[in-house]
Amino acid sequence: MSTAVLHTEKLCKTFSSGGFQQHVIKNLDIEIREKDFTVIMGSSGSGKSTLLYALSGMDKPSLGKVFFGNEDISGYSNDELAVFRRKNCGFVFQSIYLLENMTVFDNVMTGALVAQKNSADLVKKAEQLLEKVGIKKECWKKYPNQLSGGECQRVGIVRAVINEPKILFADEPTGSLNSASSHDVLDIFTELHNKGQSIVMVTHDVKTALRGNRVIFLSDGTISGEYEMPKFGTDDVKKRRDGLQDFLDRMGW
Amino acid sequence: MRKIVRLSWANIKKHKLETGALVILVMLCMLLISSSLEGISSIKSIFPNMMKNTESYENYILIPDNAYNREYENILSADERVEKSAASELLYSMSTNYLDDKGKEQALYMAFITKDNENKLERAEIETTMSDAEIADIKHPIYMPFSVKDGMGYKVGDKFDMIFGTKKFSFTVTGFYDTVLFDTSSGGLKMIVSDEDYHVLEAVLTKYNILVYNDNQGKGGTDLGNELIEAFEDYSNLDVKSGYMMLNYKNIKDGVVFFTELMLKVMIAMAAVIIVAIIIMIRYRIAGDIKDQIVSIGVLEAIGYTSKNITFSYVIEYLIISAVGILLGIGGCLMLSPVLFRTSEIMSGHRIYSKITLSPILLTAGGIILFVSLIAFIRANMVKKYPPVCAFRKGLGDHRFGKERLPLRDTKKSVHLRLAMKGFLNNFKQNIGLTACITISAIAIVFSFVMFSFFNDGMDAIVKSAGMEMSNLRVELMNSADAYEFAAEVEQMPEVRKATPTSGLSQMIKLVDCNELMFPMAFRDFKDTENIFPIEGRFPEHDNELMITNMCSRSENINVGDSVTLDYLNVKRKYIVTGIVTCLTNGGINIYLTEDGMKRLIPTYTPNTVEVYLKDGVNAEDFRYRLTQEYGRSISDMSDDESTGSSYEDRIKAEADRQIADLMASYGVSHIEYAIQAGDTVIKGNSSGFMIKSVMNILDIMNTQLSGIAQAISVTTTLFMLISALVVMIILFILMESSVRRQRKELGIMKGMGYTSKELMFQLAFRIMPAALFSVIIGTLIGIAAVNLITGYIGYIAINIPAVIVLDILLLLFCFGCAYIGARKIKKISVYELMTE
Repeated sequence: MSTAVLHTEKLCKTFSSGGFQQHVIKNLDIEIREKDFTVIMGSSGSGKSTLLYALSGMDKPSLGKVFFGNEDISGYSNDELAVFRRKNCGFVFQSIYLLENMTVFDNVMTGALVAQKNSADLVKKAEQLLEKVGIKKECWKKYPNQLSGGECQRVGIVRAVINEPKILFADEPTGSLNSASSHDVLDIFTELHNKGQSIVMVTHDVKTALRGNRVIFLSDGTISGEYEMPKFGTDDVKKRRDGLQDFLDRMGW
Repeated sequence: MRKIVRLSWANIKKHKLETGALVILVMLCMLLISSSLEGISSIKSIFPNMMKNTESYENYILIPDNAYNREYENILSADERVEKSAASELLYSMSTNYLDDKGKEQALYMAFITKDNENKLERAEIETTMSDAEIADIKHPIYMPFSVKDGMGYKVGDKFDMIFGTKKFSFTVTGFYDTVLFDTSSGGLKMIVSDEDYHVLEAVLTKYNILVYNDNQGKGGTDLGNELIEAFEDYSNLDVKSGYMMLNYKNIKDGVVFFTELMLKVMIAMAAVIIVAIIIMIRYRIAGDIKDQIVSIGVLEAIGYTSKNITFSYVIEYLIISAVGILLGIGGCLMLSPVLFRTSEIMSGHRIYSKITLSPILLTAGGIILFVSLIAFIRANMVKKYPPVCAFRKGLGDHRFGKERLPLRDTKKSVHLRLAMKGFLNNFKQNIGLTACITISAIAIVFSFVMFSFFNDGMDAIVKSAGMEMSNLRVELMNSADAYEFAAEVEQMPEVRKATPTSGLSQMIKLVDCNELMFPMAFRDFKDTENIFPIEGRFPEHDNELMITNMCSRSENINVGDSVTLDYLNVKRKYIVTGIVTCLTNGGINIYLTEDGMKRLIPTYTPNTVEVYLKDGVNAEDFRYRLTQEYGRSISDMSDDESTGSSYEDRIKAEADRQIADLMASYGVSHIEYAIQAGDTVIKGNSSGFMIKSVMNILDIMNTQLSGIAQAISVTTTLFMLISALVVMIILFILMESSVRRQRKELGIMKGMGYTSKELMFQLAFRIMPAALFSVIIGTLIGIAAVNLITGYIGYIAINIPAVIVLDILLLLFCFGCAYIGARKIKKISVYELMTE
């Protein structure tokens, strides 16, 4: 059994608007294990993204605590959370969010240089990662709007992993991609997982969820079920899909 | 139309802070331009109105009574260039003091005239709160120029003590009047006194006859005046030139108009800064707003609004803003104009007969409305580039594929600095406007700072630029006295550090090259001087050398090494210019030459003035009292002295002294020797004990003349510095806010990557620093050049370069600080909101 890299205690997140309060996450206790590819699923409005951002330090919980290792990050200021994120987290977003006024290479370096000093090794590492995800050299000086969505997302992944984060967070990373691009991107995630990268991913796509080894199902702000699978590629695909589908059916998916 | 206005109003409500800032800028712009135009249009009419109201003559020639002949009046009226003329008389002295409200003696040149004589010069319209009966009860009434009321704070009913030597003359202020000439502390203040008091003062002060005239020459009468003096002297063979004074309306008008126009021009320069600021603000606000609301714009277009409708909604938005700003500005202008008029009145000592005219205000308002509409229209017209589908895609297609600048792979040190520089290059166009704005502000700030530090540095800086010796006491001797003998004697006194003979200011010499009469400053050796510094060249050493002032040098383009000609009583001599001296006093018309140099032109020249320098801690006023007591300056005291000696011989000597005093005071006798046979004894004596003609405390006079102006300049320059800083602050705030709004997404992404708010604020603020640095350097250079330009008119103004460098650094820090604080809204960007939008 892997050790927990991240866990919460009675995590709550409430949004207020015009005197009306909406409790999105309710007293949630969750444990994210090291080297796991954790997939968070649930119906719309169940609190998946809210949970992801609360776990990653993008947002502060309303109540409860978030521990990174033994470190309680729930009381951190915004700037402390920023420093925490640059050291420990990588993010891949559904909308990709590359910096449009920067070249592909600068997008990667912007992520890298916030956490470490520039060096020949860092530049080399960025080049290797870009090549590895299939971004050819001639694209490095291009701007994001000169690339396809799939290419952009691959650049986004490189930017997220260049600092070797302890956890890689992904929010619907294939949500805005076509199926071919989605497949490529998911292969990258699988490869990262196989190399021992801890990943937390939010998705509502079963195909994407199959890449994980642990699926947590959220319903109305609480965990209503959990399903574990072997690592992707180590078992029979049909059996894996049926097992997950069965779990999701039970969860009322 | 209503729907367009509704859109505009919604936009105004959305950006309250920026709207407020823009209203302030428009208001300031309106205020400065309309007040300046108001001032410029008024200044032209102020002096003609003043002349019309006072019915004053334009030119005055004052001739001491001992050099006057009534035939001069005929010579004057017979000249075909003279349109009308009159003659009058007054009493004048440069050695008078008055007691201030703390009972301290202050130097002040004063002239005294009777009401009848005053009416021959001009129509004195008296302003008083006293009734005729009350005035009739007053024993020693005095009517003073308005400048005494405004500048020195006297009120009707106040006591005014005039001091001459050891005598005190007390008056009661009964009213004030406007006088065009003879109304400033620098030239002299003309006071109207009763006939009885005039006769009392006549025994003490020098009587001058005044010839007044209007001519048809239009040159301020200087040339005609000089010719008349020559003619008077030719006719009478009396020494008119060594004691006459000339005043003319044009010179006084030019002096006031120059300073007022200078002030107004600085105000217009400030308005130019604000205009640039307004352009930048409108352009970036509209661009930022369009980018921010591009999807909403797409929706509006989709439901039927045309791009013209949307463009006009922006134009109307800015028209509403400028209308509010203009109304506030008009209010401010109506309030400020009287203040400006009043300041002009205080500074000039005249009543300003001018009213606010509406045309400059309306012209400015119309100009601003047109200008704002045009800028808003041109910028908002970019909406045309976004048809609905393009707008829904957030303007996709509007991408730059420009050259990659400062790639991050080459980052050597801080990534934040690198990103800031990238941002600077990527927003280069935006920086052009910002650079223009900061440059103009920097010019105003550096210029104001140099002027402020010069005039605010106590009187020290002004004294150093006076272009004349600033001894503790300047003693003018009787013509018969030997200045060197007197100086040697005074130097023996324990209080005295040094005594240096020099020329007085009574005789003027014509510098032919600029056709101007100059005050000569002659010293045996200029190394003995302590406050005359050549800013270029060296002191004159030989009899054919002289120094001129920098004002003279600039106006006539005379430089070191050039040859100039001096003319005194038609004797002309050539001199080589060896140096240029800064000179804030005497209107900058001094020349400096050695005693031998003076003798070359005036063979009979002997110094008649001694500069007395006292040791530290010696009270100048106490010493002046001692000096006047010892050397009998107070000839009138002697003539009134009733005390008698104890012995017969003493009594005869005392009576002889009284007779001498009387002759000297009444008839201008310069030297008397006597021998009286009294029994077997011959009692001998002479007038050498009456050596002193006058004693002046030059520093006190300087203080009286210049401290008010220095204070006014300090206040004005401080105001300009504050306005410039305010404009820079507003611009940077708005620019940063607009940048944060425009880059909200990018900033959010970077926050997500782990950049802290402070790091991002630093990046955004540092982006403007290259532009700020460039602007401050250029602004400083232009500001200093502007000071040097002014130097040509008013004298050398020392520029403290290290202080200016410190100011520049502070200015840069100020710009960074404003930009940093302006970018504070980065803190409010929530990564979470951005990711889930």
